[in-house]
Amino acid sequence: MRRALLSAFAVMAALLGCSERQAPEAAGRVRLVLKYGPLWGAPEPFRELLARFQQANPDVELVAEPMPNASDLAHQLFVTALEGGAADLDVLVVDVIWVAEFARAGWIADLSGAFPPARLRAELLPGAAEAVILGERTFAVPWYVDVGILYWRTDLVPRAPRTYHELRSLARAAMARSPGLAGFLWQGRQYEGLDCNAFEAIWGHGGETLREGRLVVDTPEGRAGVGWLRDLVASGVSPPSVTSAAEEDSRRRFQQGEAVFMRNWPYALGELEAQGSPVRGRVGIAPLPSEGGAPGPGALGGWQLAVSARSPPPRRAAAERLVAHLTSPDAGLVLALDYARNPARRALYEDPRLRAGAPRIAALLPMVERARPRPVSPYYQLVADALQGELSAALTGLRSPEEALRRAQRQADRIAGAAPP
Amino acid sequence: MTSRAAEDARTAWRLVAPAAVLLGGVALYPVAAGFVMGLERVVLVFHEHRFVGLANYRALLADDRFLAALARTAYFSAVAVGAELLLALPLALVLDRAVRGRGLLRAAVLIPWAIPTAVSAKLWAWLLEPGFGLVARLWPGTPVNWLGAPAPALHAAILLDVWKTTPFVALVLLAGLQNISADVYAAAAVDGASRWRTFRAITLPLLRPAILLALLFRSLDAFRVFDAVYVLTAGGPANATETLSVYAYKTLVRAGDFGYGAAISVATFACVALLSGVLLAVLARGAEDAA
Repeated sequence: MRRALLSAFAVMAALLGCSERQAPEAAGRVRLVLKYGPLWGAPEPFRELLARFQQANPDVELVAEPMPNASDLAHQLFVTALEGGAADLDVLVVDVIWVAEFARAGWIADLSGAFPPARLRAELLPGAAEAVILGERTFAVPWYVDVGILYWRTDLVPRAPRTYHELRSLARAAMARSPGLAGFLWQGRQYEGLDCNAFEAIWGHGGETLREGRLVVDTPEGRAGVGWLRDLVASGVSPPSVTSAAEEDSRRRFQQGEAVFMRNWPYALGELEAQGSPVRGRVGIAPLPSEGGAPGPGALGGWQLAVSARSPPPRRAAAERLVAHLTSPDAGLVLALDYARNPARRALYEDPRLRAGAPRIAALLPMVERARPRPVSPYYQLVADALQGELSAALTGLRSPEEALRRAQRQADRIAGAAPP
Repeated sequence: MTSRAAEDARTAWRLVAPAAVLLGGVALYPVAAGFVMGLERVVLVFHEHRFVGLANYRALLADDRFLAALARTAYFSAVAVGAELLLALPLALVLDRAVRGRGLLRAAVLIPWAIPTAVSAKLWAWLLEPGFGLVARLWPGTPVNWLGAPAPALHAAILLDVWKTTPFVALVLLAGLQNISADVYAAAAVDGASRWRTFRAITLPLLRPAILLALLFRSLDAFRVFDAVYVLTAGGPANATETLSVYAYKTLVRAGDFGYGAAISVATFACVALLSGVLLAVLARGAEDAA
């Protein structure tokens, strides 16, 4: 028992970068610690990418440590490590919704010097740049992105719908032809994915969700967006089970050929088109529909690289070089071709190497261009949980969308109001 | 006290010391720290760390979500533990009697208890999955949206808890049954008591301490239920399965509101302490009666 406890402590200490690991730096060598999320796939290309940095920077001793795959866990580890002032942490990978929070807390460094906002805006996808620039200062550099998109069955409907109305009528028509078919699958389980789906619906109705750094949902467009989601469930276009579905639940059902439309992240396409998939060759992708018919914005997901504010100057410079290396066009190509990660750099989508090697990623350009970050607010983590509960109540019919959004707004305002200025 | 005895006592203290220090460090200190934090506002992101007295507890009393979680947790515990006792008693009686293949039977019964909760929760999530799930396929009549509608989801969580811990309760009761001397039954048989009479007049009263013990263990566990619910539904839909522990976890870890999360944990602790105090008192009175 005691040995188990001791080793548990040792693991914790190692994870949090306690002092025992800070070996005195060898003369002239800078020790640089990178904490990154697992990329899956074969490890060699990523190792190769790191080795290239090492060769170009012989004065740096690069230590790359993978983080847990679960976003919640990684967040928890970073919060405790950064607030605890862990020094053994220089470059860290952050979820798109943490940037404002970590910047506000002063845990991640202002990188505007090495990565000026204007340059980021010029080179990156607009949503990706927006997510990391706060008050004209850059706090992280997008590494790869994700976006909510619409999947449709090319054998069941003639075209991808542009409006919500069209989605509903196309789904209805297909459902009438083959009973048992589900119309539209998405993620309605009470978790962060539900927030993404709801923001997409609100944006698709022309709504804004961020005003002066605060989350706003109790708006006419908010009510229309959440009302649309509730109506999908109530009218049977989406099956009742959508209120307990996460990404994989939707993907499996769609893959079995049991649905006409699905909202999901781009990863699902690889699975849907895999050998032996029942819907292989019968799946199209499109931007999400909207109320007016313009391509709807999908929620932006993905990971950014940030530099710890505690990193001392020599390491800070090396850390910025590492971030530049890992977010370079070449690195973006490696991540796209070897790990199927969508680049944050706009130009890469038109790069012939990417178009030849990863045509599915190249085809995402119309979607990633419109990807929109969830409200970039330091309160996001505090508010997201309350929002999930209220949205779930609206979907299951426990409360009307109006009432649910009023309650969510009240909680969000209380949280933002309680925060020191 | 002779010097020899004093020396022994000192040795005993020295031997106990490492365990005491360890226990203090890993059990007492965190609990005390939790109490203190419940009196503070701690939000790491805002670098807030200040004493607020009972403000968190006042907020709790006005917090619909907390009150709903409290009521829900009480309901969950009462229904789950009640069902477990009702199911475990006949199971224990069978296990006590069956002679042939008894070892195998006992081992088989324990399987749900032996599976880690997170795994069994995932397993049940699959069974109840509306498209592929076995339960959904076998269910007669209109399909039930098990994990996607508030009331079915809460009862699915209860079902999982009952499925998992009934074997444990049965085992505690079985131990109690085996403590009852065969002589008592022999005497009852001589007196010509019916089986039902024997059960009512002998088995049940003599099993009372075991029943109370099982009740104590299980209600404390059920009141703090976390992993089963968290893996099954993560508290959804519409917070319908959010127990006190899940609410505390989300507030502490997800939202990062440490002070308020600690207050929820302390409130949970107080409920559990009260509950166990009552049950222990009943247990002690039973022991006196028996003596």
